[in-house]
Amino acid sequence: MGYSGARGGLAAILAAEDLVRSARDRGPQPWAGTEQILARFRLAVDRVMGEAGLYHEATAADAFRQAEGDPLEAAHLVRAHRSTLPRIAVSEPVDPDEMTVLRRIVPAHRTPDGPQLLGRTSDYTGRRLERPDGPPDPPAGGLPANGSATPARTAAQRHPRRFSALLRQADLLVDHPADRDDEPFDIIRRPARPGAPRSAVLASMARAETGALVGLWYRSVLGPDGHIHEVTLGEVRHGRLPLRVRHPHTDAPVTIGEFRVTETEAIEDLDEADEDRTRFDLGYGLCLGHNERKAIAMANLDIACRRFGRDGPLEQLLLLTTDGLDSGGFLEHLKLPHYVTFRSMVERKQAMREQREVAAQPTEPLGRDCR
Amino acid sequence: MRQDRETRAALLAVAEPDELIELADRLLAVAGPGAVRVLVAPETGCVSTQVREPVRSERFLLGDVLATHAEVGLDGHQGWAMRLGDDRAAVLAAAVCDAAAEASPAAAAEVGALCHRVERRLAARDAAEWARLAPTVVEFEELT
Repeated sequence: MGYSGARGGLAAILAAEDLVRSARDRGPQPWAGTEQILARFRLAVDRVMGEAGLYHEATAADAFRQAEGDPLEAAHLVRAHRSTLPRIAVSEPVDPDEMTVLRRIVPAHRTPDGPQLLGRTSDYTGRRLERPDGPPDPPAGGLPANGSATPARTAAQRHPRRFSALLRQADLLVDHPADRDDEPFDIIRRPARPGAPRSAVLASMARAETGALVGLWYRSVLGPDGHIHEVTLGEVRHGRLPLRVRHPHTDAPVTIGEFRVTETEAIEDLDEADEDRTRFDLGYGLCLGHNERKAIAMANLDIACRRFGRDGPLEQLLLLTTDGLDSGGFLEHLKLPHYVTFRSMVERKQAMREQREVAAQPTEPLGRDCR
Repeated sequence: MRQDRETRAALLAVAEPDELIELADRLLAVAGPGAVRVLVAPETGCVSTQVREPVRSERFLLGDVLATHAEVGLDGHQGWAMRLGDDRAAVLAAAVCDAAAEASPAAAAEVGALCHRVERRLAARDAAEWARLAPTVVEFEELT
């Protein structure tokens, strides 16, 4: 270990690491295999994928185990791993309308086009702690049906039309015609700084630390910056999207698989003097895996940032403070030895004190001539 | 019916590793020793995923998806495969199947049969998934 003017300690560092490894890997409990983690801790795994910015469930699950269940540390491990990997392709632009929904709710409307599909959720269930002695009994009546009795899924059930399409049809949405098709900002290659295009803001939020994004969203709602947000969610979706790349021999798009995402559209009531108060505007959130808190915060912050980002601190806070590795890394580094820097601070204090004591000593009496 | 190359690549991308490797081994045995050349060894890396968001139709980079690709030559035909994840053996096998299907009608029939099996499996999975999801469709009552 070498940092800030301190070095050595290798034996102690190895012994400390061994305490982690022995308790985690060689304890009396059964080994937590990758499949076990994927099955039991789906949301934690998804959060790690999103904050790391790399979609691969098994990698995230292994990182989660290695990090002893700390999502930020796991995201750090995955990002470090990803930095060793080449970029083998850039996908064709993914169209979110192609999502096969596994869950889709429209809080703004009771009967939108397509289903209100609760999917896998405990949102509507009372929070009562369960402390079973062992695995629960299988449900009475056996396992769920294999699908033979259920009518086939229709296109509208698979890819329901967005609620925003209905608003657009009713001329209730501000129109944002795209004047150009800019290349998206790549936050992996260069850091996004205030003044960056919206693609940088969206990409930064997509891999932001969930808690930081939720905290920033809540701050924007509480209104210390004097902005009022009246937001209703148009869509909250979790589902699978196809990933396509160009076939190297035919140059046609080819689907290489599907990945899961969470998507949100937030409808904002426009009320500023320079806004069209007869219409709504939309914010957009999309992140890897199933992470509704993050997608909802992202959609709300997207519209907040478009409306007020450049007038106040919001854009700067979004771009500079929500990355978990940035903020967490800076915080963690404070634990490293700072002996030299702190000693220099102490010495400065002492020098100032000496200077003050010298300055406090009696000076030459007034009126005496120096010849 | 002959599949187009993109459909075949898409189905080989989601076939089970075991069935891919078993078929590739059989096709290689028919082709004979030394018939195959690895042009691009299996390489695991990131597919940078761009999304065109629906609000302003702007593109942004959502993140990376882990994938592995490989390319082989067989009897003067090139086979390519890319699959999500990091299974190098499976992606190499998929590339062999692709090249073999390009090289010979008999191999194309075998690869096509595998692809049809994969297609049927996906459809069954999809139906089972919907059977689990459909009971969660809700129409809340409105209190006015």
